Amino acid sequence: MSWLSNKYVLAGLMVTVCLGGWSFIFNDSVDYNTEVKPIINKKCISCHGGVKKKAGFSLLFRSEALAPTESGKPAIIPGDPGASEMIRRLTLHDPEERMPYKEEPLSEEEISILTKWVKQGAKWGNHWAYVPVAPPEVPVQKGWLGLFPSKYKDWVKNEIDWFILDKLRDKDLEPSKEADKQTLLRRAALDIIGMPAPEAIGAWYLQNKAPDAYEKLVDTLLQLPAYGERWAGMWLDLARYADTKGYERDDIRYIWRYRDWLIKSFNEDKPYDVFLQEQLAGDMLPNPTDEQLIATAFHRNTMTNDEGGTDNEEFRIAAVLDRVNTTWEVLMGTSFNCVQCHSHPYDPFKHEEYYQFMAFFNNTRDEDTYSDYPVLYEYNKEDTANYRKFSDWAGKHLSKQEADVVMNFVKTKYPSYNSLKSDRFVNAELVDTKWLGMRDKGEARVANIHLTGKTRMLFRYIAFVPDGKLEIHTDSLNGPLLLRVDLPQSKDFKWTVYDGKIPSFTGNRDLYFRYRSSSLKKDYTGIFFDWLHFTTDFPHGKPGADSAYKWYYRLVSAGNATVTPIMLENPDYMRRTTRIFERGNWTAQTGEVQPDVPGSLIPMPKDAPRNRLGLARWITDKKNPLTSRTIVNRIWEQLFGQGIAETLEDMGTQGIPPTHPELLDHLSYRLMYSHDWSLKKLIREIVTSAAYRQDSRVTPEGLEKDRFNKYYARGPRVRLSAEQIRDQALAVSGAMDPQIYGPSAKPWQPDGIWNSPYSGHEQWENDLGSSRFRRGLYTYWKRTSAYPSMLNFDAMAREVCTSRRIRTNTPLQALTLLNDKAYLDISREFAYNLRDKKLERDAAIREAFTKAAGRPPTLADLNTLTHLYETSLSRYRADAEATCEMVGLQNEYNNAETAALIVVVNSIMNLDEVITKP
Amino acid sequence: MKRNEKIYREAEQRTLELVTRRHFLRECRTGLGAMALGSFLQGCNWLGSKKPTPATTFNVNDPLGPRAPHFMAKARSVIYLHMAGAPSQLELFDYKPALQKMDGQDCPQSFIEGKKFAFIRGVPKLLGPQAKFAQYGESGLWLSEHLPHFQNVVDEVSILKAVTTDQFNHAPAQLLMHTGSARLGRPSMGSWVTYGLGSENANLPGFVVLTSGGSNPDAGKSVWGSGFLPSVYQGIQCRSAGDPVLFINDPKGMDRDLRRASIDAINEVNRNSHKTFGDPETLSRISQYEMAFKMQVTAPEVMNINDEPEYIHQMYGTRPGETAFANNALLARKLVEKGVRFVQLFDWGWDTHGTGPEGSLDIGFINKCREVDKAMTALLLDLKQRGLLEETLVVWGGEFGRTPMQENREGKQNSFKGRDHHTDAFAIWMAGAGIRKGFSYGETDEIGYNAISGKVTPYDIQATILQQLGFDHEKLTYEFQGRNFRLTDVHGKVIQDILA
Repeated sequence: MSWLSNKYVLAGLMVTVCLGGWSFIFNDSVDYNTEVKPIINKKCISCHGGVKKKAGFSLLFRSEALAPTESGKPAIIPGDPGASEMIRRLTLHDPEERMPYKEEPLSEEEISILTKWVKQGAKWGNHWAYVPVAPPEVPVQKGWLGLFPSKYKDWVKNEIDWFILDKLRDKDLEPSKEADKQTLLRRAALDIIGMPAPEAIGAWYLQNKAPDAYEKLVDTLLQLPAYGERWAGMWLDLARYADTKGYERDDIRYIWRYRDWLIKSFNEDKPYDVFLQEQLAGDMLPNPTDEQLIATAFHRNTMTNDEGGTDNEEFRIAAVLDRVNTTWEVLMGTSFNCVQCHSHPYDPFKHEEYYQFMAFFNNTRDEDTYSDYPVLYEYNKEDTANYRKFSDWAGKHLSKQEADVVMNFVKTKYPSYNSLKSDRFVNAELVDTKWLGMRDKGEARVANIHLTGKTRMLFRYIAFVPDGKLEIHTDSLNGPLLLRVDLPQSKDFKWTVYDGKIPSFTGNRDLYFRYRSSSLKKDYTGIFFDWLHFTTDFPHGKPGADSAYKWYYRLVSAGNATVTPIMLENPDYMRRTTRIFERGNWTAQTGEVQPDVPGSLIPMPKDAPRNRLGLARWITDKKNPLTSRTIVNRIWEQLFGQGIAETLEDMGTQGIPPTHPELLDHLSYRLMYSHDWSLKKLIREIVTSAAYRQDSRVTPEGLEKDRFNKYYARGPRVRLSAEQIRDQALAVSGAMDPQIYGPSAKPWQPDGIWNSPYSGHEQWENDLGSSRFRRGLYTYWKRTSAYPSMLNFDAMAREVCTSRRIRTNTPLQALTLLNDKAYLDISREFAYNLRDKKLERDAAIREAFTKAAGRPPTLADLNTLTHLYETSLSRYRADAEATCEMVGLQNEYNNAETAALIVVVNSIMNLDEVITKP
Repeated sequence: MKRNEKIYREAEQRTLELVTRRHFLRECRTGLGAMALGSFLQGCNWLGSKKPTPATTFNVNDPLGPRAPHFMAKARSVIYLHMAGAPSQLELFDYKPALQKMDGQDCPQSFIEGKKFAFIRGVPKLLGPQAKFAQYGESGLWLSEHLPHFQNVVDEVSILKAVTTDQFNHAPAQLLMHTGSARLGRPSMGSWVTYGLGSENANLPGFVVLTSGGSNPDAGKSVWGSGFLPSVYQGIQCRSAGDPVLFINDPKGMDRDLRRASIDAINEVNRNSHKTFGDPETLSRISQYEMAFKMQVTAPEVMNINDEPEYIHQMYGTRPGETAFANNALLARKLVEKGVRFVQLFDWGWDTHGTGPEGSLDIGFINKCREVDKAMTALLLDLKQRGLLEETLVVWGGEFGRTPMQENREGKQNSFKGRDHHTDAFAIWMAGAGIRKGFSYGETDEIGYNAISGKVTPYDIQATILQQLGFDHEKLTYEFQGRNFRLTDVHGKVIQDILA
């Protein structure tokens, strides 16, 4: 309204009054959220908010706003605008006094709203996203005078549609009719399984005339294993999944079992609350399974810094902060990281609350170690047999508690101390800042070791010389002796585990290491230490203990295993305290805080422990206003191309408000209370709505009214994601490797992409077998050098979580699909398959087009493509060498017809319709 | 009107057209060229700023369309020469005779107490300058003997001798220098600039990266990544081996005529699709395919140095057919000539710890100097003779400096002459586009350990670069995770003293 002069505002008011708007002016209560907060956010809060509190006045919390300011008096007196300094300042003429300071004055309308608001008691309201989800009334429309059914009765498929219609009516838009079956088939399949439907399913659906054929199609697609792959692919961005550790070295990390866990969980339709609980705190569930431990790798996808000379504590903290920020952004649609440095400028979160929240995550055992400890060992075949034997033995001869302790150690080497926590070095140092390394006459300290009840110690080391002698003293270099041992050279210089008795001590003691070796040359390091573990005696007295110890020792020392980084909580004696960081600086830590959730949201469940498990319960509590809304918004975005609230990462007051807030609440409520957190049911509900099934064609008028299809008067038409483009090409060409699960694949990538200083021991070698045709989500992801063709289609490096990819449209995308050898290979496979069927020119082109675009070509399309085919054919007939290059040297296909078909097929793969959801 | 001003006015006009709703609707209706179809990124949120400023909007359908900065710019392009690994300032620019006198003495305790180094342990020895110094040019700036060519252009540059950083490891320090944060995940300077300005040449990327020295920089591609900005703003690495731009070359067996025919076919079918669906994105896609076709010609052309005259090759000391800094320097000139905004060179191999001959001050370092001295000098002269130096900002430097002490890794004297990473003082030079000529700014103490005056940070350098490009570094922002982020984070001051 700001462009209206006051005269017009006045006239407008008069009209309102005449039309019986008295109540609006004088009686209606002002709504804080929709009327007051927008003014405050826009005009006031940058000086009077969470960051700046000019003149001691802040409008962020009610308690702050009503408190005395620097003048000694409060600026707002509820109920008395006349006495409220804030209101007075809005209407002054002196530019030095009038607020907003040195800015345009507020409009009369704005001033009137604020005045009324103070008059009515200056009540604070909660932002929509912070209010628990309640079921809104479904705005079912009735026809004339409410006596007849709505004219949309036959259009509507489920309740979603009434919410959509309600807004369409407001915007003077009409919904579109349902798209044809071919379109629906392709759209639903791309959305549900991330690629076109298997042929048999497609054929079945296209022939099926039953009224519920589409619903049956959806149910079928939801049951395909490809469903789990498609949605796991989405989650990888959120979990910032990568196959490397990030930072300078960016070395390999084996964490693909977490991806397998995601695929499996989506396919099993694990309820979303359980899905989150296991990822956040699977390790703290009673008797966690290996699967539940793998789930916690979610938050081990943070980066680890292996560069020499880096401060491990700094990067441990960086990982913890990332877990906090990711938890908020990804699971609760809230940008929380502003609060790291100061109170949130707009949203009701206080600085100390950030650190209270961080305290939930600050007590895990990981310490930025090179090996990403703690990890879960999944032993290979031979050692699995040893593991079973040992586990059976322990189950039979040890108490449950003893067996748990020893099996946990075998599986995780936990709880252990990492040698990188050592200090006070003489002739010793942290080798590459990773392991304690000692030279002749070396000394070092490992502080604060809990020895009560411990009678035995194990440590992992490499001894480089035959005559190393180690002494460990407690309390000082000459204090009581804990261990004296000769350590002969490790076989093949491999990591070795020492296991031996120690005398009993009590309490937490500092351990002083002394190392000697007379054969060591000056300045040479004789030994590296990795972890130290303190425990009780091995139960040698039990029957069969001798064999059991052999299995045990093999497993703890040299077991062949796949390791996956997991979360494990520190035992009590290793508990970390969490302090507030002044202005977010970890080197300036002040007051200690205890784990807690922000006061402006719901409290933790009464019986929930103040740890990660309790936190997971709080996040998945049905009263938590953010969790269900966030996932519903995200799934809507995946299906419609944009969220109901567009800023998936921020549903706070600075985010873009939802276009259909009631619908968001409706679906969120149903997800929790009707669907019991089943995402498959939620997806089914959305994709079976009439809104989703609409034709996506748009007229110029439609574009003008709703260019971005925010109100859904037509079906969603958006470019496919990097993964969908790849998967679709693989599926329609027949080249796809159907293998599900497993380590990442290395599809073709140009030479010289991985040209980093320390990538020496890991090189990109293009997969040659069928694994080069695996689905996009299995592509090996190196953070500092991610797969280039997917980056060109807006994939992100995954250094931190990505809530949504912003779609772009660039020439590099064209070049990728035209020239990337990976896509050329797929086109070749496609053409070979068509040639194998011995199809005529037109039939081959028609089949390729139909498979890729999901509809047969029009006559005009076919003419264009046959023309291209003929042009290519005559070109290749005249050039045997070019033919051979295009077909890829495969003898049986080495002819001009195949070469020409490859050109045509590759062009089809580039079509707008093919890379766009119909 | 000066050329710069003309460009600015034009870009401003285009930006205004873009933000004018009427224009945008008219264009929509007539369905004219998709390039001008303005659709604004909906995710941008202007509540933080008062109104959409030209430099904080962008068009998803034409994200690289040229746009106006905040004010008239001195620089049209930037060439940033980064010596990855961090060259020693004490052997190049910062002449310290006192350090020579103290060569071999124990480093005074006051310098090392409470300090953390990457490799130095215990008490290291001071190491005198491993080069002879003299004054050059009318300005009389001090330079070492290792830069015999650069001596001739010293009157063109400002040398900043008191640059500091707070990161003593390569990757974080490189990230800080180029993204304003030591952590991964922020957009690089070149990304910010292309986000703010777009590109002047639709047939070339707006932000090009060239590497030499056998390896990419330690921080990897993140150092030219787009962070949270749309990926279209990331630096495009152009390569002298393989495709000059990834996927730019047609596959073997596909000639230009056939490529033309296939793009014609694609676009014809796409035009039919547009008739059916009416989706403006389709029109945009059609023009992207046209642009791709053109880029296939222009990019290899501009990346080909063979057509340059012999004297140019002589001047730069190019090594055709190889990956060399000299080739990249020449390419940088060609690219800015064609309107590329930001050219980022990384030359790897400057990490002179003294652990081996390659990484020593008396062998490897001198070789590295030979590799760059002639070429960087030629670059300045070549830009100047083409009148481009006035509008091209050239920056040269590493990610941190080297210690005045000889490195004693793990407490032991290294076998060769070398220096550890040093954060408290190092040197960078800048030239062209309104930078003061023949000027030395900032001083260090007598052994070159601490900056004592004219101290600047990476943020200040970033602010200055943005300033020359016409940006207020505090206002070139992008909202992410609820916050308006900017290159300089919450820091940065334009270094006014080095501006002419």
